[in-house]
Amino acid sequence: MANADVEAVDFEPEEDDLMDEDGAVDVETSPRAPLPKLKSAITGGSSSLSGPKKTKGRGFREETDAERNSRFAANNFESLDSDGGPGPQRSIEGWIILVTGVHEEAQEDDLQNAFGEFGEIRNLHLNLDRRTGFVKGYALIEYENFEEAQAAISAMNGTELLTQIVSVDWAFSNGPYRKRNMRRRSPRGHRSRSPRRRY
Amino acid sequence: MAGEDNAEFYLRYYVGHKGKFGHEFLEFEFRPDGKLRYANNSNYKNDTMIRKEVFLTPAVLKECRRIIAESEIMKEDDNNWPEPDRVGRQELEIVMGNEHISFTTSKIGSLVDVQSSKDPEGLRIFYYLVQDLKCFVFSLISLHFKIKPI
Repeated sequence: MANADVEAVDFEPEEDDLMDEDGAVDVETSPRAPLPKLKSAITGGSSSLSGPKKTKGRGFREETDAERNSRFAANNFESLDSDGGPGPQRSIEGWIILVTGVHEEAQEDDLQNAFGEFGEIRNLHLNLDRRTGFVKGYALIEYENFEEAQAAISAMNGTELLTQIVSVDWAFSNGPYRKRNMRRRSPRGHRSRSPRRRY
Repeated sequence: MAGEDNAEFYLRYYVGHKGKFGHEFLEFEFRPDGKLRYANNSNYKNDTMIRKEVFLTPAVLKECRRIIAESEIMKEDDNNWPEPDRVGRQELEIVMGNEHISFTTSKIGSLVDVQSSKDPEGLRIFYYLVQDLKCFVFSLISLHFKIKPI
């Protein structure tokens, strides 16, 4: 785990310059957990937190159940074949796009009319807000082939639907999203800690 | 800060219990690199674990962040929420921008449980957010992996 080296260091608030910068963290976390860490077993350094966070919740004060860490550590999660690249990924029987910014009173028919001209809509999920009953704001649409989905994206992204501008894009990707500024963050990630006491 | 597309984002939700049919649980995780992992386990009738994973595009992560931001769950605290018990447990962990919450509580059967708790306002937000997130995840997973009969 990327944070393993932090956990091993003794936490002495009055001497550790690193911790003084973020007083809010001291109040919320238990003495055993000086820096907040994600409880689930996330493999790989790319998912370590980039810096001090304001933390809240019982989850930070509880003992971590050993089984919890193993639930997501296993590598046998099923997935569809992928080339590992950043492009869109085909789903089991078609290509799925995500529409966001959907008006809260939109109905399935409105989406059928707007998106049906690019190809036959194989699947449409227009989920509702569970509290209000209005449309939550997004829709997932499946087309049989790539060209139809791409046409829908190109034509509809940024256009108006029921007086609101919608965004349209692919839903699934072949590989991880590489943050553009990820490498530039490394000076901070490798910042050295205050010198240890020698006596 | 929370609205920036480049800010840190992570979400994990768990609901489960241990009983006659083993450790039955549902858990999903939105990771910063876009990977959505989904697991559903039960030994009911000797069933086994279902595990799926797929990479989501930044557009999907952005919508997930919007749903969370709109719920205002990041302003809440689980101090006064019921503790997990024999009936079950829920966990919600979210990192958004420079805030990291990790809430745990018992299962919520209905709004009655929400109303009669010590923090009905906060618990209600949690209750509905969890439902909205489940809707989102179930749609994503079933659309990506499930074959339509006929």
